[in-house]
Amino acid sequence: MKQIMVDVERCNGCLTCTLACSAAHSLTDTIVAAMAAKTPARIQVMPVKGKAVPLMCRHCEEPACVDACMAGAMQKDPVTGIVTNEGNEQACVGCWMCIMACPYGAVTQHPNGKTALKCDRCRGRETPACVESCPNNALRFVEVGEFAAEKAAKTAVSQLTGT
Amino acid sequence: MHHVIIGNSAAGIRAAETLRYLDPVSDISIISEEDIHAYSRCLLPDFLAGSRSEREIYFRPEDFYARNRIQTIFGSKAESIDPEQRRVLLDDGTRLSYDKLLIATGASSTLPPIPGIDSPNVFGLRHLRDARNILKACAKARRVVIIGAGFVGLEAATALYRQGLEVTVVEKMPQILPQQFDTLAADIILQDIQAEGIRFVLGRGIKEISPPSVWGRIFSNPGCGVVLEDGTRLKAEVIIIAAGTRPNVEVALSAGIKINRGIPVNDFMETNVPHIYAAGDVAETKDVVTGQTGLTPIWPNASAQGRTAAYNMVGHPKAYGGMIGLQNAVEFRDVPAIAMGISRPAGADYQVLSSYHPEKNRYKKLVLLNDRLVGMILVGDIHQAGIYGALIKNKASVSRFNDLLLRDDFSYGYLAT
Repeated sequence: MKQIMVDVERCNGCLTCTLACSAAHSLTDTIVAAMAAKTPARIQVMPVKGKAVPLMCRHCEEPACVDACMAGAMQKDPVTGIVTNEGNEQACVGCWMCIMACPYGAVTQHPNGKTALKCDRCRGRETPACVESCPNNALRFVEVGEFAAEKAAKTAVSQLTGT
Repeated sequence: MHHVIIGNSAAGIRAAETLRYLDPVSDISIISEEDIHAYSRCLLPDFLAGSRSEREIYFRPEDFYARNRIQTIFGSKAESIDPEQRRVLLDDGTRLSYDKLLIATGASSTLPPIPGIDSPNVFGLRHLRDARNILKACAKARRVVIIGAGFVGLEAATALYRQGLEVTVVEKMPQILPQQFDTLAADIILQDIQAEGIRFVLGRGIKEISPPSVWGRIFSNPGCGVVLEDGTRLKAEVIIIAAGTRPNVEVALSAGIKINRGIPVNDFMETNVPHIYAAGDVAETKDVVTGQTGLTPIWPNASAQGRTAAYNMVGHPKAYGGMIGLQNAVEFRDVPAIAMGISRPAGADYQVLSSYHPEKNRYKKLVLLNDRLVGMILVGDIHQAGIYGALIKNKASVSRFNDLLLRDDFSYGYLAT
């Protein structure tokens, strides 16, 4: 199953992904609609010791947020693997248990103050908007194994060449 | 294989769906005293407030049982268990055989042993029928007294206030939320709720509930009186007791299962009797913070325990590993708050980091022990709370970023890089 993988070294904190995320979740799928409605982004780019680090939901295998959800709104789709509190029969009540439970801090409060907000991986869109928009290739939508193999090869090369 | 689950809430349902996911062929049955689709007790205050209907507090889709091929034995009480024959005896006389049994019977409201506790219009708040009875009684009422300023009491208070009732909350301890929040955090939350118009009487317990007087009954004014320890008398038509819960261990007793306050289980959610597991509010599990085994009656832990029990019931050994026993998220009016673990440390060994911005109603407190985070309180800004939770749960050393912990932008990035 493909996941959004982050190559932290490549991120320069341009925040394009946050804009693309807002746009993709706006009424008309455009940045204008996102700005008009103040559609919040579901990906965060946090400063860590002077370095930009993109953070978003990993759609865990056993999500703590799903266990924590006392309304039953937060669900993991058994087919797509997407974890979301939107579009299910049960509605989010904004109790913040998922925010308390998520070990990655990937769930936030919607600015409306009434529901929890998180990445829904663009609801099955072929390539999530943040990945599509990243000009630095810091975000990629790939198989985890593929990404790990590349990373291992890269590490091996740098070890061997001493760079 | 026949998996039988007693209990139809967080632990029971999570176990049932996990069982079905792991084992597509076995029979799964759920026994529940209440004859109703699985609903969330945590949403009963929303039902009281009128913001959610009965259907809207169901925490699984309406076709949940059918889709997961779960046999529902609702409206029946499990009376006793025969562990030799591996059978559960129901109150209608039916005997149900099981291969693996999960006890997820939950807890009940504790009613303090005071005179008048059995008067009319005195309620606990644990079941949907309680909520329905409260609403029925409130239709003719003006004043409500809520006894206990824990989560349930305060949720009920704000809910009924929204329905237009005059609400007074009485708490024996000198602060609200005494289980989990320190005085400063409790004070911020108290002011927020008071600003709404709810009245509080703190630091005074109740002595008795006096039933309606003869005149009151003649003129159909069902007002009770709540007499406090110091003799003060509060008048109310409806009284709600929110003074904690006790685990429902009766059925486990009949099977000779070991019981402390709840049912102690090992890391695989097994009781001391073979083939019988326990999970949820009725189970005593390991608290990762204190290392002690005890009750952890909160939703996320119940779910995790139910899920873990299911793995072990189908024969995939899976350790629970323990959760943070005490953790809760609240928002009664405007100020969200989260507390976890040892939030009110006693002793000189603990190090406390805190920041307080009264103008923004923001308070952050982190409790450390030997370079490890063991507890925290967040008020106002609950962003990234889970990161602290993960640090507490994993007993990770925080010496590397000790000075950064209190920052507003502290994030997972600091752990990953």
